[in-house]
Amino acid sequence: MGVVHGQEMVLNIGPQHPATHGVLRLQVKTDGEVISEITPYLGYLHRCFEKHCENVSYEQVIPFTDRCDYLASMTMNFGYVVAMEQLMDIKVNDRVEYIRVIMAELQRIASHLLAIGVFGLDLGAFTPFLHMLRDRERIIDLFEMTCGARLLYNYMWVGGLSHDLPKGFVEATLNFLDYFEPKVDEFENLLGHNKIFVERTADIGIMPAEVAINYGVTGPNLRASGVNWDLRKDNPYSVYSKLDFNVPVGKGIKGTVGDSWDRFYVRLQEIRESVKIVRQAIDQLPKDGDVHQSMPKKIRPPKGSIYSRTESPRGDLGYYIESDGSDTPYRLKMRSPAFTALGVLNEIAGGWLMSDVLAILGSLDIVLGEIDR
Amino acid sequence: MTVDFIFEFLSGLLDGFISSNSLLIISMLVPCLAIFGFITVYALVVIYAELKVSSFIQDKVGPMGQGVGLHAGKWGLLQPIADALKLLLKEDIIPSSADRPLFILAPFMIFIGAFISFIAIPFGESIIVTDLNIGIFYILGVGSIAVLSLILAGWASNNKWSLYGGMRSAAQIVSYEIPAGLSLIVVIMLAGTLNMQDIIKYQAGGIFNWIIFDNPFVPIAFVVYFISAIAETNRTPFDLPESESELVAGFATEYSGMRYAFFFLSEYANMFVVSAVAAAGFLGGWHSPIQGFMDSPAWGVFWMINKTGFLIFVMIWLRWTLPRLRVDQLMNVCWKVFLPLALINIFGVAIWTVVFNS
Amino acid sequence: MSEDLQKLIDEAVKKALAGDDEAINGIEDRVTRAKAKAALVKAKREQPNASEKSSTSESNEEQPAVENSENVTSKITKMLDYKFSDCLDGELHSDFIQLKPEYWFEIAKFLKEDPDAYFDSLQCNTGFDLGDGMLESRYNLHSMKHLHSIEIRIKVNIDNPDIPSVESIWRVADWFERETYDMFGINFTGHRDLRRILLPEDWDGWPLRKDYEEQETYHGIVVPKVKEGWE
Repeated sequence: MGVVHGQEMVLNIGPQHPATHGVLRLQVKTDGEVISEITPYLGYLHRCFEKHCENVSYEQVIPFTDRCDYLASMTMNFGYVVAMEQLMDIKVNDRVEYIRVIMAELQRIASHLLAIGVFGLDLGAFTPFLHMLRDRERIIDLFEMTCGARLLYNYMWVGGLSHDLPKGFVEATLNFLDYFEPKVDEFENLLGHNKIFVERTADIGIMPAEVAINYGVTGPNLRASGVNWDLRKDNPYSVYSKLDFNVPVGKGIKGTVGDSWDRFYVRLQEIRESVKIVRQAIDQLPKDGDVHQSMPKKIRPPKGSIYSRTESPRGDLGYYIESDGSDTPYRLKMRSPAFTALGVLNEIAGGWLMSDVLAILGSLDIVLGEIDR
Repeated sequence: MTVDFIFEFLSGLLDGFISSNSLLIISMLVPCLAIFGFITVYALVVIYAELKVSSFIQDKVGPMGQGVGLHAGKWGLLQPIADALKLLLKEDIIPSSADRPLFILAPFMIFIGAFISFIAIPFGESIIVTDLNIGIFYILGVGSIAVLSLILAGWASNNKWSLYGGMRSAAQIVSYEIPAGLSLIVVIMLAGTLNMQDIIKYQAGGIFNWIIFDNPFVPIAFVVYFISAIAETNRTPFDLPESESELVAGFATEYSGMRYAFFFLSEYANMFVVSAVAAAGFLGGWHSPIQGFMDSPAWGVFWMINKTGFLIFVMIWLRWTLPRLRVDQLMNVCWKVFLPLALINIFGVAIWTVVFNS
Repeated sequence: MSEDLQKLIDEAVKKALAGDDEAINGIEDRVTRAKAKAALVKAKREQPNASEKSSTSESNEEQPAVENSENVTSKITKMLDYKFSDCLDGELHSDFIQLKPEYWFEIAKFLKEDPDAYFDSLQCNTGFDLGDGMLESRYNLHSMKHLHSIEIRIKVNIDNPDIPSVESIWRVADWFERETYDMFGINFTGHRDLRRILLPEDWDGWPLRKDYEEQETYHGIVVPKVKEGWE
């Protein structure tokens, strides 16, 4: 071919950089533009979450889980609460379950909007980012109406919720969904089918299904590689078995299966599916039921351990909780989906250009708070 | 030709008192100061326009204020002035390992490159600083000084990211000058002259005499020229050299305060120059679209500024709508799409003119 | 995809399967190269299944088959006990399998490749400080094909915490084991690059152990121990 090899340069992207989604340092070996190896350096946001959890009581762990993945706090709470209720064998009533599903799905929409917006921003499309943030604001207003907080909710408690839905929440949500559904088509046209965007993302950073499973990648990243695996359908928890929705899987419409455009498109489709789920959940929501009904007076689980998984917007969130019969956890480990997503970066980004690496990083949708805990 | 006009006027007034050489120098300085003032005012206007237009596109509010003296003035009009003041008052940081003389030289060079192309831009019937017979050629040539200064800026900052930005921008500007120049050859062929005022005079007589409607190949040349011009001024979708999310600020990473302002001032000045050349070459310059209506020399300035302003608005519009192209895709588009297209255009225009003898 | 391209990719994959690695790396176009790599992975996956089936068919009648039932753990325990003698550590449990550290690498390979077990996904790796001078590493495995999961626990002594590393089998274990090493000090032998991942490289001590004391200073910054009175 006639390849000219220059000297290899070692470059640092970050820790302060507009495009690294948090405080992340990527050490990149490149010979000009083509990358040969990427080494991520983590730990800038490590706040000793797991050590803290060993010293506080089980209820006090919930605000800590909020702060791990701060862009999807509801689903972080949800995962923990589902694990605890399995450990303690608590059954909550239907109203609580449906409200939890509504909140988790609204949170999924908000998180995906931000993920797609920031992905576009990294590639230079400034406008879709602002449009998506405008719609995310409306979801956050709904959350604020319910529990008073905009970003870190501390909403789902073991055995129930902190507050019941306020008056007017259901109408406000239905109004929002009616306003929002046509916007998703707008986003798809503005960003998704834009020729420049497609050129920048199709066939870039292809992740074959084998590699994805071997590296433990889950969630939209795995589904974009063609594997139909969604914990809400394959390992249902809460009331997901009563709701009817599809699982979008990457099909390689604009390029190969598992490229960055697929990861973007799977997230866009998931927003549509979540809108469907929220509508059904609101329909099936029982009118009465006390959200504080099954909350135990003192959380003291029996001795034992449990590993339970739920589906967060970034993937497969796992909590491994070991209890020794006292009020504080003996060991709590959070298996975060973005941790494994970042681990696969070196595998799929070797051999691409510098601008592609940032595109691939954007398509993986990582949040440093969850990776470093 | 304003320099000559001022020279005659002043020598009529002050003949005995001051020597004719110094009168010549004064009469050359006056229009330059006028151009400088124009660039300053234009920069303030275009910065405000960019903020407001981008706000409308992005569903934001943009600079707003409640009245003079509060916040940013009514409708946020004081915002650009506040921006300029802020940049002037910033601390001037030069990294200790940077190459000092080159570091300081780079912003001046790029501004000089943008500034001296203003002297050949026709604002009105006889309102042009100097009416060179090689007007268009001169503007194209002088616009390349920017390349040199961008490489200097990238190198002198002693920073890998700036180096990347400088290299990319040099490659980009040099490549895109070729389709731009070739598209302007179409204009020169049809008008038969390189002189800016004569090109505009060729288009006298209302909208259908404008060069863009002369020939079905010319609109293609216009589009090729316009897009290459956007690439030359480093605007999105071609703003890889200064792409914020990838290279922090590219070649301008290490610059702060007024030096940083010079880079972006010259980017806006460049935008004006290329839009003015497009307006003069393709869209009829200072002629009004309807012959006889608002057609006096004073109105000429109005039409010229409007046409240029419209093209600048299109540039701003494109910036906030499209994502940016990757550097190899950029080069692909230039060499594999625009260059053949521009060459085919030249042949097409020539053959059409000969066949239809228009 | 055009036919020529498809032929090129097929040839390159055939050559790579025969051992010629340069066949795929020599493809100029980046996109085609990536597609060829994906096709190679797919082809490799279909190969070992054929060889595994033939090797285990002889001992098939004595090995219990694994189903989607609740007794997955006990069935796997029996399989492991049959195939690897003396790998189980202590009594049998119903929710998890307690193994000795020595044969962990071979057992992991077997669990991943055996068509009845086929645990192709390591879900989570947790470190534990059990007190009494014992550390433990727990693995949650899951099979995407058979949809069953098990938990494996390996106990080691705190004075000699060596466990074979499985990061060449499940690549996700690379970072999981680095994190467990970082927090507990369990040394995973055979890991290609075992260093701290969340804490700085020159930090002292293993934070998640129950007897952990923070160091006095780190590069001159005082590490605070008493946190009362913080507002």
